[in-house]
Parts: sequence; structure tokens; C-alpha cells
Amino acid sequence: MTAIETTGLTKRYGHDVYAVNDLSLTVEEGEVFGFLGPNGSGKSTTIDVLMDYVRPTAGSATVLGYDAQTDADEIHQRVGILPDGYSLYDRLSGRKHVEYAIRLKDACDDPDAILQRVGLAADAAARPAGTYSKGMSQRLALGMALVGDPDLLILDEPSSGLDPDGIRDIRELTLEHAENGGTVFFSSHILSQVEAICDRVGILDDGQLVTVDTIDGLRDALGAGSTITVTVDAPPSGLAFDDVAGVSSVVVDGNEIHATCTEPTAKLAVLDRIRETEHRILDFDTRQSSLEDLFSAYTHPTDDRPRTEVRS
Amino acid sequence: MSWLVIARKEFEDAVRSRLLWGVVAFVTVMVSVTFLIPLLVPAMESGVLAALGGASEFASMLVPIVALVAAYLAIAGERESGSLRLLLGLEPSRRAVVAGKFVGRSAVVVVGLTAGFLLAGVVAWAVYGTVPAGAFLGVLLLTDALGVAFVGIAIGISAASATRSRAMTIGIAAYLAFALLWDLIPQGAHLAVFGGPPGASAPAWFVFLQGASPTGAYSALVMNAIHATDPSYPAATTVLDGPVPFFVEWWAFAAIMVAWTVVPLALGSIAFERADLN
Repeated sequence: MTAIETTGLTKRYGHDVYAVNDLSLTVEEGEVFGFLGPNGSGKSTTIDVLMDYVRPTAGSATVLGYDAQTDADEIHQRVGILPDGYSLYDRLSGRKHVEYAIRLKDACDDPDAILQRVGLAADAAARPAGTYSKGMSQRLALGMALVGDPDLLILDEPSSGLDPDGIRDIRELTLEHAENGGTVFFSSHILSQVEAICDRVGILDDGQLVTVDTIDGLRDALGAGSTITVTVDAPPSGLAFDDVAGVSSVVVDGNEIHATCTEPTAKLAVLDRIRETEHRILDFDTRQSSLEDLFSAYTHPTDDRPRTEVRS
Repeated sequence: MSWLVIARKEFEDAVRSRLLWGVVAFVTVMVSVTFLIPLLVPAMESGVLAALGGASEFASMLVPIVALVAAYLAIAGERESGSLRLLLGLEPSRRAVVAGKFVGRSAVVVVGLTAGFLLAGVVAWAVYGTVPAGAFLGVLLLTDALGVAFVGIAIGISAASATRSRAMTIGIAAYLAFALLWDLIPQGAHLAVFGGPPGASAPAWFVFLQGASPTGAYSALVMNAIHATDPSYPAATTVLDGPVPFFVEWWAFAAIMVAWTVVPLALGSIAFERADLN
């Protein structure tokens, strides 16, 4: 069964401001799906439609097989949400928040167990939420999302405001939820936060889906596996790498030669080719192309970006 | 039954934030003072019934303020702060949210008004030596009903407002319209029809127009309630010359108060259900 499916989903404000533009996306049950995109790319609006906070201009969305607009009740019984731009009730203690969530969801969770899962100590949970740091608020909101053991966990920028400990805890809770057969829809503007946990990622830019792929698929899409930068004693001349296997492009910048290699052995071939000339190699450096490079290539508006889609 | 969970939290919040105690103290002091005014002003009729009538007239100015203040931020405040995003994640039915807020804030206002009135009743009893139980109870229940009507209006406004400031603006406008400006409608109509203000008697439509606002309906019902316990006290229809048409019967004013509670609430709820909350 599909956990989330949007078809031609569009949300327009005014005449020509598209928050989400013709988004078609499928997230399977049991998946940890990373929803990536820079701030303002339409991630939160998409989630708002899934949660029936906003109504789409066109297209449709289903969550766990239920229509997001007509069956919001059914969806909310089965979904835990950590929304973006939420705030807590300042006077209510952390524990009371969780109790409120349990009563509203008609669940039978133990509030203390929930608080412990998200790492809120009993004395902190007894304090009014108005005194909480951003990290503690985020933990509490995550705890409220876990109430009722939801089938689908929607986390909108869960790592914002968290310290490394908090980010690690979120990661562990996410993986734990997935191991128990749950689905996680994890939105972030930072690729490294979803890289380690997500089965697939979708990259959204300017309201449009630019790619959906596995992390490995994205790595493959990088094509260029790594770059070798060689510094020589003088601006090189008479060098040609056309016939070196595994080299996809070469850029010369002053005394530096940047060669992008699709195969690891090609780097050595590049060095050999330079040593065949009269140039002396002063230094060299190799660098693995990172997913961040790819992510910014996808979401940088001036670049020609490849559009691919791979379904798991 | 999540509306009940929301209502309970609203009430507990009011206790926690001391809003409830503020309402009780405010109502007690203000109503006690109005009970005493007839004693301090020698020219005024100084019976305890007149004092009760005076207190109710004052309450028709005071209760709308109390109810509007207690409820105008109930939904718009949560919407602006973002806690509504958590709440609707747990309970997606916006109608249930509106219902829970209305019931919870109504309970706050009713408990506050009842406690305040009863305490003021004790003051009146100490001063006058007696309190007409029937009339007092009638006025108290009607005052509670007026409070609930204005909570309905305030929740309706709050549900239809995207921001706190808009809820406040509309709330103040509603108060000015009902408590101060409404009277200009029957007076103006009378002036237009008869070329002058009403004298000792007035036509039935004038009485109806006066009682068509929530506070007007309240005042008419209070007069009828006190009149029922003591016929020497004027009823709303005493100023009529001829027969009493159905639309100025007490139940017509009761229906007007119910309508003023339910209609703004329903309209606000519809606007809220259609709104994009982001």
C-alpha cells in the first residue's frame, strides 16, 4: 500500500505564486522518505495539504489510502505530525502536553514512557513549556507526534534547533519507527540529515519535484565519482587527456589542473600523463564529489539540472 | 468527544492563567458597586428590586466586555502563534475545535459571572437586609445567558480571524455596535416615523428593535423576569398602548438571544473550516 500519494498537486496563492506546482509523488509504506529542498521550496505547503491545514488549488493527495481533504479524521488517527512553525502552550507543562495529545487521540500511551523516549527528563517535563529551549520544545513536539503509535510519522524539519545529540536521537527514533514497520516522511533542507536514514529522497525546488531517487541512485547520478586537482610548476601546455579512459572533463586554472574522474584508476592515469611531459608536479589532491554538490546543483536555479526519477 | 477534551483544557487554562479569578473579582466588585449606587444617590428609587434592575443594566455593558476579552483570542491566538498546528494535528475536525473552545470559554464566563453575582448578592443582602431570591436568580441566569451569547460572538469572530489584531479589531467593533450604537436604530427609526423620540408609550416595533440586539434582548428579558416576581416593576411591554404582538413576547427575545449565540458561532465555524491555515 502507498503511504503518501500526490497527483498533480498544486497550491497557488494569488494569480501566479505557486507554492507547490504539479507535484506527483509516491511514498510506499514502510519507507523512510527524505523530502529535500531549500527553504521556501514548498515542502511545508505539501505537508500542510497532506494534513488538511491548507486546501490544494488543483490535484489530489492521499495519505494511507485516505483522501487528505475528505478523510482527514481517518488520516490523523494514523499519522503523527511534527509540524513546521508550531508553538507550544506556554503555561502547560511538557507532561500535560503529552497527556492532552493522548486524550485528543483517544490513545492509551503512558505519558512517562513517551517523555522518556524523546529524552525529556521528569523534572523538565514538569516545567511549563514556555521555559523550554528550542531543542526541548522539539523533543516534546516529537513526543506528541509519537502518541497513538502512528503508522506514518511526518517530520517537518525535525532537526532545526537541535544540538548533535538531539539530531542523533531523532535519527534513532526514526529508524526505530521504520524497523517496527512504520513509514517516515522526513523533510529537511540539509541533505546530510536525511542521507544516513532515508531509503529514498525527493528533491523539491521552487514548488516542483526535480528528482526522486535512492541515495545510491543519487550517487550514481553524480557520474563524476571524484575530482583530482594537480598543481604543476608552470601553466600547462600541450596536455591532452582525451584518450585517458575514465576522465570525463578537465579544467585548467592557472597552475592547477582539475580532472573529473568516473573511475578511481583514472586519477593515476592523469598523474602519469602529466609526468610524461616536462611539467613538474608540486602537489595533488583528490576529492570525492559530495551529495551536497549534487543537491545544490539540483536546487541552484541557474544550473541546468538533470531531471530523473527512479521508483523503488 | 474531543470537543470535551478541548473544552476541559480551555477551562483549566483559564484557571491556570488566573483569567477565571480575574473575571470573578471584576464582576463581584462592579456588580456590588451598582447594587449600592441607589443608596448613595438620594434621588434614586432605593428599593432592592430597583438596585437589581440597575445591576442588570450595568451588566449589559459589562458582560459583553468580559465575554469578548475571555474568548476573542481562543482560536485566532492559537492560529497566529502556531499551536493550532499541533492541535489540528491531533484533532483535525475544525468544528470540534470551535465547539470545544466555545464550551470551555462559556464555562469560564458562566462560572465567573455566577460566582461574581452570588458574592455581590451577599453584599446586597448585607446592605438591604433582603434579596428577592426569584428575581435575583432570574437575573443571574439571564446574565449567564448573555455571557454565553457574547462568548459565541467572540468565538465566531476568533474563528474567522487569521490574526490576533484582526480578532481584536472586529471584537471592539462588535462591542461598540451592540452595547453603544444599536440603540440608535430604534431611536432613529422612531424619529423618522414620528418626527421625535418616543414619549411615555412606544409602538411594538420600537420595543422589538430595542430588543433585537443581544444586550437589548437581555434587558427586555430581565424586565420581564423581575416583573414576573413583582408586577409593580415594569415589563418590556409596559410601554405598549395596545395589545402585545407575538414578536415582543418573552420567548421572542429568548429566541433572539439564542440566535445571537448560534449564528455568529456557525458563521465563524464555516469560515474557519474553509480557511488555509499556514
